[in-house]
Amino acid sequence: MGRRKKIVQECEKLMDKPENIRNIAIAAHVDHGKTTLSDNLLAGAGMISDDTAGQQLAMDTKEDEQERGITIDAANVSMTHEWEGTNHLINLIDTPGHVDFGGDVTRAMRAVDGALVVVDAVEGAMPQTETVVRQALREGVKPALFINKVDRLINELQEGPEEMQQRLLDVIRDVNELIRGMTEDKDYDWTVSVEDGTVAFGSALYKWGVSMPSMEETGISFGEVIDMEQSGQRQELHEATPLSDVVLDMVAEHFPNPLDAQPRRIPTVWRGDSESELAESMRLVDDEGEVVFMSTDISMDPHAGEIATGRLFSGTIEKGQELYVSGTAGKNRVQSVGIFMGGEREEVDRVPAGNIAAVTGLRDAIAGSTVSSVEMTPFESIEHISEPVITKSVEATKMDDLPKLIQILQQVAKEDPTIRIEINEDTGEHLISGQGELHLEVITQRIRDNQGIPVHTGEPIVVYREQPQQQSREVEGVSPNRHNKFYITAEPLSQDIVDEIKLGNVSMDMPELERREALQEAGMDKDPSQNVEHIFKTNILIDDTKGIQHLNETMELVIEGLEEALDNGPLAAEPVQGALLRLHDARLHEDTIHRGPAQVIPAVRDAVHRSLIDGRIKLLEPIQNVRIDVPSEYMGSASGEIQGRRGRVDDMYQEGDLMVIEGIAPVEEMIGFSSDVRSATEGRASWNTENAGFRVLSDNLQTDKIMEIRERKGMKLELPASIDYI
Amino acid sequence: MLTFVGLGLYDASSVTVEGRNRILSADRVFAEFYTSQLVGATVSELEAAHDVEIEVRDRAGVEQDPEPILSAAETEDVVFLTAGDTMISTTHVDLRIRAEERGVETRVIHGVTAETAASGLTGLQNYRFGKAVTLPFPFVHGGDDVPQSMIDSIEANRERGLHTIVYLDIKVDYVPRRGGPDEHEEFMTADYAAALLASGWKDELAVVVARAGSPEPVVRADTLSVLATEEFGEPLHLLVIPGDVHHIEADALVSLAGAPRSLVE
Repeated sequence: MGRRKKIVQECEKLMDKPENIRNIAIAAHVDHGKTTLSDNLLAGAGMISDDTAGQQLAMDTKEDEQERGITIDAANVSMTHEWEGTNHLINLIDTPGHVDFGGDVTRAMRAVDGALVVVDAVEGAMPQTETVVRQALREGVKPALFINKVDRLINELQEGPEEMQQRLLDVIRDVNELIRGMTEDKDYDWTVSVEDGTVAFGSALYKWGVSMPSMEETGISFGEVIDMEQSGQRQELHEATPLSDVVLDMVAEHFPNPLDAQPRRIPTVWRGDSESELAESMRLVDDEGEVVFMSTDISMDPHAGEIATGRLFSGTIEKGQELYVSGTAGKNRVQSVGIFMGGEREEVDRVPAGNIAAVTGLRDAIAGSTVSSVEMTPFESIEHISEPVITKSVEATKMDDLPKLIQILQQVAKEDPTIRIEINEDTGEHLISGQGELHLEVITQRIRDNQGIPVHTGEPIVVYREQPQQQSREVEGVSPNRHNKFYITAEPLSQDIVDEIKLGNVSMDMPELERREALQEAGMDKDPSQNVEHIFKTNILIDDTKGIQHLNETMELVIEGLEEALDNGPLAAEPVQGALLRLHDARLHEDTIHRGPAQVIPAVRDAVHRSLIDGRIKLLEPIQNVRIDVPSEYMGSASGEIQGRRGRVDDMYQEGDLMVIEGIAPVEEMIGFSSDVRSATEGRASWNTENAGFRVLSDNLQTDKIMEIRERKGMKLELPASIDYI
Repeated sequence: MLTFVGLGLYDASSVTVEGRNRILSADRVFAEFYTSQLVGATVSELEAAHDVEIEVRDRAGVEQDPEPILSAAETEDVVFLTAGDTMISTTHVDLRIRAEERGVETRVIHGVTAETAASGLTGLQNYRFGKAVTLPFPFVHGGDDVPQSMIDSIEANRERGLHTIVYLDIKVDYVPRRGGPDEHEEFMTADYAAALLASGWKDELAVVVARAGSPEPVVRADTLSVLATEEFGEPLHLLVIPGDVHHIEADALVSLAGAPRSLVE
């Protein structure tokens, strides 16, 4: 029997003991060493050769990942680890660190109960560190800290023990500040500390690590570590105190098992009836309960087809089961179930509750679907806070490839919900929107290389939004047959309410009472909060009418008209955001057929557009937070790169021997930033950008930008006469 | 001058003589067939029968862009045609108001409508009808299978002992929309409608009227659940849900519509 086969068998044995299972994710800022750490853990579990760990990047399974040297997709692996005489099953997800791929991180967090946060000792906590810690805590996932690249402190920076200690304590303090801020209202203390053993230090590259428990066990203290590093005894250090043991011990000891985690996590991720049998069986991780599975990732296997990976909260998943997929009609039949070992999927007979499973046959599932053996309230949608900000057109070079390209684009959208696809079968020019230049570049390259379809891509275009700026007067929308009228006003929603909607804390899926409370807490008045009829993206429709006959059966069409109007704003047909629409009154025809879709939809669409225009709707552009770390002599040229891009520098301060510049700039101007800042600083700057929402485009650019977009979309090049304020 | 002419129920010969004279003397003839249709004659058969050219307007061409009709009527003698009557159950009063507002003289030449036939063919007396309703295809209105307002109207009529005419949906030039099928039947049939209504009223009496105005109309009374299992041939169909039945109406339903005697007593 091969070694691999043995591990699979061992995993199968452990799957049924939830108390011995740990579902964990490794998350960090880009280049802080997540994937190298994963390799260590795999080697420790005997799954890859010890010699190549650190260089193999076993979890970067796609060629482009190995070429680019970064992780793009979240990857899954299961392994076993013995701790205090008991074998543990560790289901691990490695996640990408680059900001463009944040959606993968958010989804991975849903599947796990513990997050190993990796921080580079030299760079310290960075913006993405903050983001991943927030993502974990929001999902009720417990953090632990691994401080990586300690070898660099010793060898490159030649730091003495005291200096080093201070640096490490600073990292711990920064991370704890974040944790405290996010868990203030919780009854548990999740801050990490060396004494508790929830912090480990080491070098993933040289495969050694230490923690308080390991020092007690091996007798190797920090002083000895420094001596051995300096004298080049790295191999000995690795053998004496191997990183994988230190980290996996920490995982086994401090991360909750599913039995501990699920009772706490279910109420945060599921809004169904907490008294129901289903809720009980999820809390108990009952493998004999109904199947409840949440897919967090969809990937494509050339042989097996689509693979849905995710967390099984209840029941046992087996081949041949007929399961419901949220948001779709009918059932899907499970073709096979399996677990991941490295990049490969191993089929097994069954996977019980509490595990991460890989399932084929769920053809309707997308990343984020709830899959279950009975119809149920779906899990909270996994909201990734950044919306797509950049769009590129994609066209097949050969006409024959067109149908296949459409199929692949639809597949791409299914795998990565932070991507938006617009298929235009008339022009053959499809639009793909994502989190940043790199995100789109990777996706189009995969279409080219993996699918062998030559494509043209257009220049990247920024995605805009439209938003009313003030309270409008009441306007009228009349149906084409003039027998139906709708009276509507528009006004901007406060940023607090918009944020709550984006975070999923306010949605139409939740019980009315909870939604009302959440809205009032975010600052909405009592009356409107009780009359919320619909929430579409970050816009709210309030029904302020009273006792209008037939309105309830017309409401679905009203909503359809509203959505059409909001998807294509009146300025440049860009999506409307943060608008509060109120329906004040309606006049309806007696007979259903004279108030059908052909009448109601255009009437409502007109009324919504008119109200937005009267509310002085303006164009918004996406902006990014920018942070540049640069030696002080390049500070001027680096800050010039922000200011020269319609940006604003908010802060400059010294950190170690580097200057840090923080500011914001429009995404549109940031296209090409990488190469410009590199040449302006002769390659000495490191930088980080993060999408930071949308901001009203300055008045003197409004008209030009609106016309530019209208021209690109083939719309009329004159605005309606009522738009006289731009 | 804008003259509204109802073409009547079935084919080119269903129009009144006055209506025909108006068509013959018109400078231009417009028509719309999205609210209803003549099943017994195509547009070209109508053109041949009346020796005129007919300009057919779609919904947008009447409701959103009536300009060509109105401006022609300012200087010429224009006729606007619909099946049945131009003002009963359709919504063309709006077009007439717009014309009058522009100072265009208007006239209405009445046509025979489904309302006449529902009463005339079933023997149910026109004095005893309540509010009429239209049953839309379920995917169109986005609600339950039968819109609540329809159920309410029928119930309100029945409480007062009144009959209800149920017009059946027509989908001309169906364009697939969200939640709807890719393709769709053009006309709702009476058995389809009876099946929809039978989910609430399976043992209630109803009367099917098919191809009113044609040489061979069909009139058939039975419970909704029985009617749902039968076929009534070519369109157009409509349903009548009787309220309290007067003794002479009962006799008519038995002898003219084949109603089981037990259902009407």
